[in-house]
Amino acid sequence: MKPVRRSLILLMLAGTSHSAFAQDTLDIIVPFAAGGATDIVARSFEPPFSDNLGVTSVVRNVAGASATEGTAEVANSEGNPNIIGYEPAGALSIQPSLKQLPYGPDSFTYICRTTSNPMFLMVSQSSDIENFDQLVAASQEEPLLYGSSGPGTLPQLAVAALVGESDLEASHIPYSGSGPAMNALAGDEIQIMADTETILANYDLRPLAVFADHRIEGYEDVPTIDELGLPEMEFAVWQGLVAPKGISQERKTQYSDACKATLESDRFKSFAENAKAGIAYLGPEDFEAFVKQRYDANKQVLRDVGLIE
Amino acid sequence: MIARLANPRVLLGLALFLVGIVLAFHAWRGPTDAMLVPRVVLTLWCGVALAITLVELSHATAMSSRSLSPLPVLMAAVLIAAIAVASLGFLLPSLPLVALTLWLFRLRRPLPLAVGTLVIAGGLWFLFHHVLLIRLPTLLTSGAV
Amino acid sequence: MDIILAAVGNAFTWQALLAIVVGTWTGIIIGGLPGLGSVVGLTIFLPFTFGMDTITSMALLIGVYCGSVYGGSITAILINTPGTPQSAATTFDGYPMTQQGRVDEALGWATFASFFGGVLSCVILILCAPQLAKFAVNFGSIEVFALICLAMMCIVGVSKGSVMKGLICGMIGFFLAMVGSDPITGGDRFTFGSYTLSSGFTLIPVVVGAFALSEVFVRFSSRNDPGATIPEAKLRFPGPGECFKRLIELIRGSFIGSFVGALPGTGAAAAAFMSYATAQKLSPRRDRLGQGEPDGLIASESSNNAVTGSSFIPTLALGIPGDVVTAMMMGAMVIHGITPGVRLMVDQAETVYSLFVVLIIVNVAMLILSKPSISLFRYLFRLHQGYVMAAIIMFSFIGAATVRGNPLDLVVAAVTGIFAYALRRADYPLAPLVIGMVLGPELESSLRRGLLIERGEFLGFFTHSTISMTLFSLLVLVIVWAVWSAIAQRRRSSVNTRHVETDAAK
Repeated sequence: MKPVRRSLILLMLAGTSHSAFAQDTLDIIVPFAAGGATDIVARSFEPPFSDNLGVTSVVRNVAGASATEGTAEVANSEGNPNIIGYEPAGALSIQPSLKQLPYGPDSFTYICRTTSNPMFLMVSQSSDIENFDQLVAASQEEPLLYGSSGPGTLPQLAVAALVGESDLEASHIPYSGSGPAMNALAGDEIQIMADTETILANYDLRPLAVFADHRIEGYEDVPTIDELGLPEMEFAVWQGLVAPKGISQERKTQYSDACKATLESDRFKSFAENAKAGIAYLGPEDFEAFVKQRYDANKQVLRDVGLIE
Repeated sequence: MIARLANPRVLLGLALFLVGIVLAFHAWRGPTDAMLVPRVVLTLWCGVALAITLVELSHATAMSSRSLSPLPVLMAAVLIAAIAVASLGFLLPSLPLVALTLWLFRLRRPLPLAVGTLVIAGGLWFLFHHVLLIRLPTLLTSGAV
Repeated sequence: MDIILAAVGNAFTWQALLAIVVGTWTGIIIGGLPGLGSVVGLTIFLPFTFGMDTITSMALLIGVYCGSVYGGSITAILINTPGTPQSAATTFDGYPMTQQGRVDEALGWATFASFFGGVLSCVILILCAPQLAKFAVNFGSIEVFALICLAMMCIVGVSKGSVMKGLICGMIGFFLAMVGSDPITGGDRFTFGSYTLSSGFTLIPVVVGAFALSEVFVRFSSRNDPGATIPEAKLRFPGPGECFKRLIELIRGSFIGSFVGALPGTGAAAAAFMSYATAQKLSPRRDRLGQGEPDGLIASESSNNAVTGSSFIPTLALGIPGDVVTAMMMGAMVIHGITPGVRLMVDQAETVYSLFVVLIIVNVAMLILSKPSISLFRYLFRLHQGYVMAAIIMFSFIGAATVRGNPLDLVVAAVTGIFAYALRRADYPLAPLVIGMVLGPELESSLRRGLLIERGEFLGFFTHSTISMTLFSLLVLVIVWAVWSAIAQRRRSSVNTRHVETDAAK
């Protein structure tokens, strides 16, 4: 017994020196389980961010309910200067329209947008569909199926909006994440998927169009949606930092300065390159306006496709 | 008959049946697509629970006299501590819970009790919350406790 | 050849070996502690891997993963509390063996079966990852639905005594998994207007309550009983003769685990139950299963550890993570600049081969480290039972609180614990609860997706593909067999009682 007890005491001593008792710790809430795509970006963002801010910080994963659980925790911590959320697009701009949530787009102090990646419309490399017109023609013969990483997610919204505006005949099959959806695409259970460049490159898929207002570097031969003769559509997977309401102006400035400096740091840049995360900084005011604009746009799409009244 | 009904096994079966009825009722009123599987499962639940209750009832004997046990105290303590964690943080409810558990398991000499409480509740909390930085629920916004 | 040599070189650096030893050992301990499982272990170590090179960090994470899957069996055998959900099936035969005073034998078989399953799945991974991945891709929603229906049949097998009680526990588990968002429409179900309920129930708090906390309560009510103390943990490996006798069981468990691991969305807990159910049908010693028969232990432990190797098949061959743990591993790869995806095996062949070597070393390390880990548990369990039980409550709380950072999960664990105690007292088997909760959501979402694909025609499921037809035929066969053997048994027992009666009349 003695050695066990002794090592426990040693462990505690080691902990005291390492932990930050004197000073406050900043909790960075990630509304997904550890190890997911968003969590990885947040965990790479955290070290330079806390260095710039001059505090110790901890990534805390509060997962559940399509990322709204963790987001609600940030919103509910009104006035707490030691909590900040690394938020995905869905939790801020889609879920509040779909469900009764304890927060809305006005419940946060917006800090910055960190990354944004436009979404592509894609099909499996093994299919013989080469462009959007062929896709529409094929769907006219036999209706197609498109997958998504869950109900009420951006991949669903993007294709649903497209189906609403064009002659594409396709219905939605939701999966429990991008992985299972990719598996279904590989097994030809579904034929269409909308997602980012990361997915496109990793799974060797064929892009047919991009949901952006301009063609994307590296994919110059992929047309935008309005080049196909359809109304302009913009869907991107973005992430950003939000703090609770009621924090001081000074704290807000500290956060946004640290965020900007982090996005300009070589460390985060090299990570973003590897992970194919497109850095797309927006300051506090721009980000707030952006989220509200996306919120309204997504709400309109949800209404058009009949997901909400 | 009444004495038979008071048997805990029969009561458990009956409770499961009643819960099943409430949930099944809820499921049959909900939307068809989302409630498709719940309807099947919960209807089956009601049937099976009713069958269990009947079987238990046929085997049931009148209740034997029970000796008083402090088990409900331990159960209540665990439940109260679990509820309290949400508002008081992890550490504060854990300390009395561990002390009470040790006490109930007949560890009543002051030194082992105190050391045991400090190491098991305080030590583990410290290890996870401050050393490994796996954040547990906190009381203060600064995250220290 | 050069690539293989380079891979072996990468894996045999001192950093990687140290990471393997540290990772595997802590993994075993973490897995053994009820409440803390693979995900908590990986979450603890994930931040440390940021500063390491790729192979070292992979070695650490793989060590923690494989170690924790094995470690869960130690407490399952010793105190009837699976350290992780993956080891729930290990309690069926492991704990009866302990009660019969065969702890050393049980731990020996669990360790050896884990090692065997782990290594065999590595071999399968190395030899036929691309082929298996290609085959697994054919398992669409409808095929998965058929497979899970088949797996659900194991509820009947594991509910000793009363099939009805097993069924209702299975349905309770299934129901708990339904609370929250509907997987297809996204609408709330059974939340009764409460936002807190809309995030639903997760597996860990329920498992922690049903097994760990209820075990504390059971032990508390029998604390005056001298026979209820925790036995001394010892380890005795089975001899070569015994291993040979049960070789078929070892191979079958490992194959089932390897195959289930290659399918996305199932995982080690499901594999262990499926393998156990198969052993109940096919083991030559199936009559003794559930009463302390090593075949049951082998079925469970060889298959859940076989999942550790084969869950890398979809990850490496297609870039699709098979479960939470491999998803985490993929995240760690991204941090180190390796992009998982279809071209990983071609572009990063050296890394992939190093990973294979690491997997094999981890399994060997697990075999070597089993002895010191079990000694540690022996020292811990030598303490007064009160300390052990208080620590189990604390670990259950920590496990429930960290699984997704929601304090409400603690209440779920506590309520489940009290409820499970009542169920246990009334002889309800608890394993079906876990089966229902693990397999239920997958059963439902695959059914609903299948209905969307077949445009509402359920009959279309049976003719969807050769695989689905085969699986459904197998399902019918299993049901017929189960009913037949139940009738046969009843007839036999009624014949026996008649014999007894005539004997008495004489």
